[in-house]
Amino acid sequence: MSTLTDRYVWGVLRAVPTAQRADLEPEIRALVADAVEARTAAGVVPAEAERAAIAELGDPERLAAQYTDKTLFLIGPRYFPDWKRLLTLLLSIVVPIVAIATMGASYLAGKEIWEIVASGLGTAFMVGVNLTFWITVVFAVMERREIADFDEELAWTPDKLPEPPATAATESLAGIAFSIAALVIAAIALVWQQTAMPITIDGASYPLFNPDLWSFWLPWFLVVLGLQIAFHLALYLRGSWTWAFAAVNTILNLAFLVPAVWLWSEGMLFDPGLVEALEGMGLATAFRPSGVVVAIVFIAVTGWDIVDGFRKAARAGQAARLIPAA
Amino acid sequence: MSFDDILSGSQQELRRGTVVLACLLLLREPGYGYALLEQLRDLGFTVDANTLYPLLRRLEGQGMLVSEWNTKEARPRKFYRISPDGERLAAELLADWERIDASVRRLGQGGQEP
Repeated sequence: MSTLTDRYVWGVLRAVPTAQRADLEPEIRALVADAVEARTAAGVVPAEAERAAIAELGDPERLAAQYTDKTLFLIGPRYFPDWKRLLTLLLSIVVPIVAIATMGASYLAGKEIWEIVASGLGTAFMVGVNLTFWITVVFAVMERREIADFDEELAWTPDKLPEPPATAATESLAGIAFSIAALVIAAIALVWQQTAMPITIDGASYPLFNPDLWSFWLPWFLVVLGLQIAFHLALYLRGSWTWAFAAVNTILNLAFLVPAVWLWSEGMLFDPGLVEALEGMGLATAFRPSGVVVAIVFIAVTGWDIVDGFRKAARAGQAARLIPAA
Repeated sequence: MSFDDILSGSQQELRRGTVVLACLLLLREPGYGYALLEQLRDLGFTVDANTLYPLLRRLEGQGMLVSEWNTKEARPRKFYRISPDGERLAAELLADWERIDASVRRLGQGGQEP
């Protein structure tokens, strides 16, 4: 069996980079040995002395963090207020909407009152936990990336000051929160339409979209929605649009729009059973033209969003140039 | 927050930088980690083992201390000693300390000179 000292040394070493371990190990062993020796010299039993010496050195991970200058927090003071504000706002928007929507769907499906309440609470809890987790992950990554950047560029000069955001083009917290809320709700709806099969015709339930698309395209849309959420978070933290943001916005929008329209035009987007059932009801003639209208609106909205990104980037650039003159 | 909490918090702030200076001055004589810890404590500096040891290593990395493994005794020990750069740092810090001491004394006596 390994001694308490061995266990302690390993506890420290595993928390420091491999390159530092060989160098640090004899040092920590010597520190423990010295502390033990001082105690045994004073008449303490060796086992007791070892325990006391190690207790004095304290939590091995904390010691390792001191040696490597690592951060021991998840989200530091720089991002904490943003994290808290955005999370509170998002939770207060998304959770009630999702809960009410779920309860509404359960009610329409003719469920018992306790089932309706339970479905609402269950969904609210799941969405709340997931939202909190993912937002926190994004912020924790930002926190660590920033620290890494800081280490690389220790030499700070006034040239490195960021451009102040143009007031006209600044993204408001509420605007960003609504965008993210909409994306989260869209992602939930995408999964929900499959699991809940909300459309009932003649006693048979159908999902909205073709279940075969779960092999690739529906997960793809979920990933794109996730990336758009990350994009909006980054946009909020940056404070204003830039050309790079406008370009990324274009790519993300097209990554969603192009496959969606293509799948729809190929007749692969909607559940075949649902389409058949609608045709059986004689609604097929109505279904196709209304699809065209939806597609055109979808393309127009996406197109506007892309153009708007570039407009805001241009305006932000202009306003930044105007500040020195003002 | 009780007065004692405020006091210990403020003392911690006040003493934070002094351990570096004390280490540099003590290590004009070569010394190893644990002995240094005891010396500091005998002198009334409150410092934790897990703060002091990484600090010594950091000062060595910055070139303020030099180290050497002493293998002549029963167990190898890492001895630290102040470097010429460390001497310069200690001299500057000491001068700064004296300036602060003088200023604080003047303030404490209420005799603010213009």
